Amino acid sequence: MPALSSPSDIAVSLIQVAKSYGAVEVLQPFDLQVAEGEFVVLLGPSGCGKSTILKMIAGLEEASHGEIHVAGELVNYVRPRYRNVAMVFQNYALYPHMTVRENIAFPLKMSRQPRLRRAVIEERTAEAADIVDLTPYLDRKPAQLSGGQRQRVALARAIVRQPAVFLMDEPLSNLDALLRADMRTSLLDVHARIKKATLYVTHDQIEAMTMADRVVVINAGRIQQIGQPHELYTAPANTFVAQFIGSPRMPLHSLTVSDDGALRIADATLALDAAVVLEPEATVTVGLRPSALRATDSVSACFFGEARRRDYLGSDSYLEVDLGDGASAMVRAEADTDVRPGDKVHVDAAPGAIHVFDEAGVRICGASVGQRER
Amino acid sequence: MPGTYEDETREVESSGSAARSGLPASRPAIALSYVILLVGVAIALVPFLYVVSTSLKETTSLFSYPPDWIPSPIYWGNFESLFADHPFVWWTFNTLFVAGAVTVLKLWFDTMAGYALAKMEFTGRRGVALLFLLSVAIPISALIIPLFFVVRYLGLLNTYWALILPPLANPLGIFMARSFIVGIPDNLEDSARLDGASEFTIYRKIVLPLIRPGLVVLGMFTFMLQYTSFIWPLIAVQDSERQVLAVGISGLQSAFLQDWGLLSAAMLAAAIPITLVFLLVQKAFVVNDLSGALKE
Repeated sequence: MPALSSPSDIAVSLIQVAKSYGAVEVLQPFDLQVAEGEFVVLLGPSGCGKSTILKMIAGLEEASHGEIHVAGELVNYVRPRYRNVAMVFQNYALYPHMTVRENIAFPLKMSRQPRLRRAVIEERTAEAADIVDLTPYLDRKPAQLSGGQRQRVALARAIVRQPAVFLMDEPLSNLDALLRADMRTSLLDVHARIKKATLYVTHDQIEAMTMADRVVVINAGRIQQIGQPHELYTAPANTFVAQFIGSPRMPLHSLTVSDDGALRIADATLALDAAVVLEPEATVTVGLRPSALRATDSVSACFFGEARRRDYLGSDSYLEVDLGDGASAMVRAEADTDVRPGDKVHVDAAPGAIHVFDEAGVRICGASVGQRER
Repeated sequence: MPGTYEDETREVESSGSAARSGLPASRPAIALSYVILLVGVAIALVPFLYVVSTSLKETTSLFSYPPDWIPSPIYWGNFESLFADHPFVWWTFNTLFVAGAVTVLKLWFDTMAGYALAKMEFTGRRGVALLFLLSVAIPISALIIPLFFVVRYLGLLNTYWALILPPLANPLGIFMARSFIVGIPDNLEDSARLDGASEFTIYRKIVLPLIRPGLVVLGMFTFMLQYTSFIWPLIAVQDSERQVLAVGISGLQSAFLQDWGLLSAAMLAAAIPITLVFLLVQKAFVVNDLSGALKE
């Protein structure tokens, strides 16, 4: 991630920005800074307000509160076309009556700068088409292109403007899984080539984790956590992030701290990673990261339980294991494991497997299994 | 390609039954449907053919019984009289000019107003739309007298303006244009807005091309309505040479004598320009949908 060393390195700066429609608050005040060349992903479920953030930066929605700076300039009251941002829409938004060439050249023809000469427009259009491998299709209409090609036209139309910031609103969500993986790579290649700040909205955690320098997790109009993908995975700020990131989903269990201040799941006592003292009788939530739990033959393993279900994923399998006392975990096993529902399983927990959250769902610290009673 | 009727029917039947789950129609049912269609065609065509026939006969031979469908000899006198004794060419020109001007101006105004009502946020948008809608409900007969006074006050009686301006105020086209434009996804305009297009450029370069099929329909509708309009031109224009076709032709009748041959010739001649316009515009009806703009 590029370091935010000086204000001139910052491409987008949002200061206490909020959005509400009448009395309905769709985005609570938040701060976000995006460095030059940084790829920031806004991740969250549908309707959480992530697209609204892009629209406010683009000028298609007005911020109800706060300041929006693009390339060091306050743009709250600047019209979209003067904001020096380009946006790629989820549903492409290509002009169907124009050819690919005309679509890409459209922003240049609309340019308010001293009128661009025809030769310059042609040159820059060809260059943008080349970046996204569309040169052979320049004279086609959008209807004659595949989904992936249409999305590349939309991308080229954004590139051709040479904006300070790229805004991408779920650009790949309409493509099939295979094409999406390809386009992810192409997008990153393009990003590496043009090195412009990019804000990318998605609800797909895989896209977020694989593409982002930093991820902003949003839920119900509230920023949950901002961090690098690794940070979100290993130290989720709260139960929402813990469950939203990672597949399968992290199961959560509500536990009561015992009188002696110890925390137990079934027969295992947890040792907290940090020097935190839990109040006796306090209620906490414990999450077990499935990918860090492993079915094992070792009797000295951390947990012991009974397999309830087995999900075969090809590369490996996941077992749903009943740990006792109402707690259960999703546990990784070999793809060809011979454990069947009803079998007894030992479960090993790697570091980072166990996360402890307070009653409000905010992370307290990680934990490991200290000892087992049986 | 199979040549016989049976082969063709079989082909149609097999592809038809493959495409639909219903059974192929039986032969008597097909025959019956043809009979019904032919009756329909006859009902539509006979009056027109009778007009053609009448226009080519002397009025005196009109009332022979049984009627002669095919005139013998063909009599061109009705057409000669139409063009020699009456300013029929002027009427045609006036009608085409007025209908053309009204159509062009109306398409322009209606689409701009429709765009504003469909896509722009402004205070009182609903109120304005409601007002337009209410004005549709006012019958033309209630408007004619006040309209006459307004036009007279403006000193426009007996001018082309008197024929062109009042129809422009009909709000029906605005609603049609609005409904076409509402269907265009907001993302397209947002995208154009970010690309640097002004509101007028979005209207002209994005919206208008995309609603072209709708505009053709609205244009034809307006043109037809104007081409056949009668009451208002009758009141607004007195000079025979400023008249439009509908009024001019109706003036060919007199209280005591109906020259059916001349009237038929005039009707036939009046139908030719609008038929040509239809043929010219037909190509533009080709659907120009949004395919490719967005993910289907």
